[in-house]
Amino acid sequence: MNRRCRFALVCFIVVFLCVILRLFYWQVVRADELVSLGQAQYGDNIQITGQRGEIETADGFSLAANQLNYTVFANPKEVENDDLTANALSPILQVDSASISALLSLDRFWVSLSPAVTNDTKNEIDKLKLPGVGFEEKYTRFYPEASMAATLLGFVGKDANGEDQGYFGLEGFYDRQLKGKSTYETQINDAFGRPILAKLENFSGDTAGRTLVLHIDRAVQYMMEDELQKGMQLYGAQSVTAAAIDPKTGGIIAMASLPSFDPRTYQDYSDDLFLNPFISDTYEPGSTFKPLVMATAIDKGLVTPYTKCNICSGPVPIGGYEIHTWNDEYAPNIDMIHVIQDSDNTGMTFVGEKLGLSGMEDVLQRFGFNDLTGIDLQGEGGSDIKSTDNWYPIDVATSSFGQGIAVTPIQLLTAFASLANDGKRMEPHVVDKIITSDGQTIVIPPKVLGQTVSMQTARVMNEILVNAVNNGEASFARLKGYRIAGKTGTAQIPVAGHYDPTKTIASFIGYAPADDPKFVMLVIVNRPTSSIYGSETAAPIFFSLAQRMLNYYGIAPTE
Amino acid sequence: MKKYYLILAGLITVILLLIIANITLSNSMSTGGIELSQLQLKLHDLQMQNSILEEKVLSLSSYTHIASQAATLGFTPEKTQLSLSTPLPLAYNP
Repeated sequence: MNRRCRFALVCFIVVFLCVILRLFYWQVVRADELVSLGQAQYGDNIQITGQRGEIETADGFSLAANQLNYTVFANPKEVENDDLTANALSPILQVDSASISALLSLDRFWVSLSPAVTNDTKNEIDKLKLPGVGFEEKYTRFYPEASMAATLLGFVGKDANGEDQGYFGLEGFYDRQLKGKSTYETQINDAFGRPILAKLENFSGDTAGRTLVLHIDRAVQYMMEDELQKGMQLYGAQSVTAAAIDPKTGGIIAMASLPSFDPRTYQDYSDDLFLNPFISDTYEPGSTFKPLVMATAIDKGLVTPYTKCNICSGPVPIGGYEIHTWNDEYAPNIDMIHVIQDSDNTGMTFVGEKLGLSGMEDVLQRFGFNDLTGIDLQGEGGSDIKSTDNWYPIDVATSSFGQGIAVTPIQLLTAFASLANDGKRMEPHVVDKIITSDGQTIVIPPKVLGQTVSMQTARVMNEILVNAVNNGEASFARLKGYRIAGKTGTAQIPVAGHYDPTKTIASFIGYAPADDPKFVMLVIVNRPTSSIYGSETAAPIFFSLAQRMLNYYGIAPTE
Repeated sequence: MKKYYLILAGLITVILLLIIANITLSNSMSTGGIELSQLQLKLHDLQMQNSILEEKVLSLSSYTHIASQAATLGFTPEKTQLSLSTPLPLAYNP
């Protein structure tokens, strides 16, 4: 009897062990597989991809928004008549009917007939009631102002996985902020496949990308592009670029470059147009650099506005070279006010000699030419300045009037803006604030990068620059009644070790109103053909735009 | 003994009430899926319409569009401005 009981016990133990092992197999070894199988039976896995965040100008207008589009697809196995379907779709999709027919003849369940059509086109196709033809909703980037601020915005393309990816400008720099989050959620269904009242598991609802609100003023941006367009045609320039900055905050009010591209059809344009020349390209700043050198010399007490130049009676010989003025006219004993007014290279050589090599290093250091400005745009380039260890006396002389060094326009604009802000150099910023999908606002505060010169020096330079506008080469174009500070520049273009005698980069940098600057602006005209001088090309564009901006801001003349 | 019958009757009543409540609730919720489905369709439809309208508003209020419309209508940019450089003698009482 005991033996029978023991046998029965062993049998029970074996059976239970089998059950335990089987349960372990199902619940541990194949757990994931069965969970997903179960989920597939009672619900759908839905991929929820948040919309990309928008990019708004300071007035709340979306420069980059999202547009509802549809992918037109077909299931060839459900299409009843290939030719009839192809002929009906061809004029609407503007695709050759033979191409559509070829797609419909494939042995597949899904073929894409058009990647993105508008809602109107979708409705038009819907009316045809074609069997086997369907639509898939998707959002694509939409730029309501077309190519306005294109180099500033960048564009949205695809990454290696076919996901949206921002490239260049703001779309590239803030891609992670703008990108909506992708999450997978489970919607529980009843036996008929209808959703039932059950929460979407782990669904937070917070998938949309963040919205960027810019310092960019849409009206000023429009005016800038309009004036640049006119200027480029009028002066026969190869390209033009400009930007305006608020000197007190470092906020970029407008930034434009022409020729440009349409971010929606970026594939149709040359890659060269995608880079923003205002932040990526370097050029020799020429005479627009002179005020910075002069400001440093005044700040260090090496010269005053009334210091006389004692080497300016003729060409200045240095290290086997001769420094000439731009028009080969010389003014003995010229003072520093007139050196800037007349853009006198020999006068600047005099200032350069006073500063010496260490002084010029100091100019580059305090105005930030050795570093990137930190602007929040993808693709910022650095200056091209050879190490001062390898400088010769001629390098000190030429750099004092902006030759032999290459800087980016944004570096020059930021540096010059410090003179309009009592010597405080601000970090340039395009984005003012970021709005999260749950409505929180993250404000990006202005950042002071350093003190370039003292407040007193900045105010002295202000008067010198106002005088340069009123009495310098560009005085014919100045705005009557306004005090505007500024300086022209005509930079030569180095080609194969020498300067091209016929081509220049003409520029004008300035700010208005001089006593309480609302904006600092740099206009660069690349290789103008009607005149090579900044005073005859960039300056008129600057003043024409400044007039419109002053009117827009409601700033009345003071003189 | 009567006490036990009362308790038993009470328990049966509670069970019956719970069954009735269960049936009522189940019935009322059984159509929830259909309503939810309809609501989701409606939400989706409204979101689409909203998106299309937003796009239209942006297109029509873009400066590019406004400028072209203004040019078509014959408007020209204002070249001059009027500013009052001296204060007017309003409420001046020496």
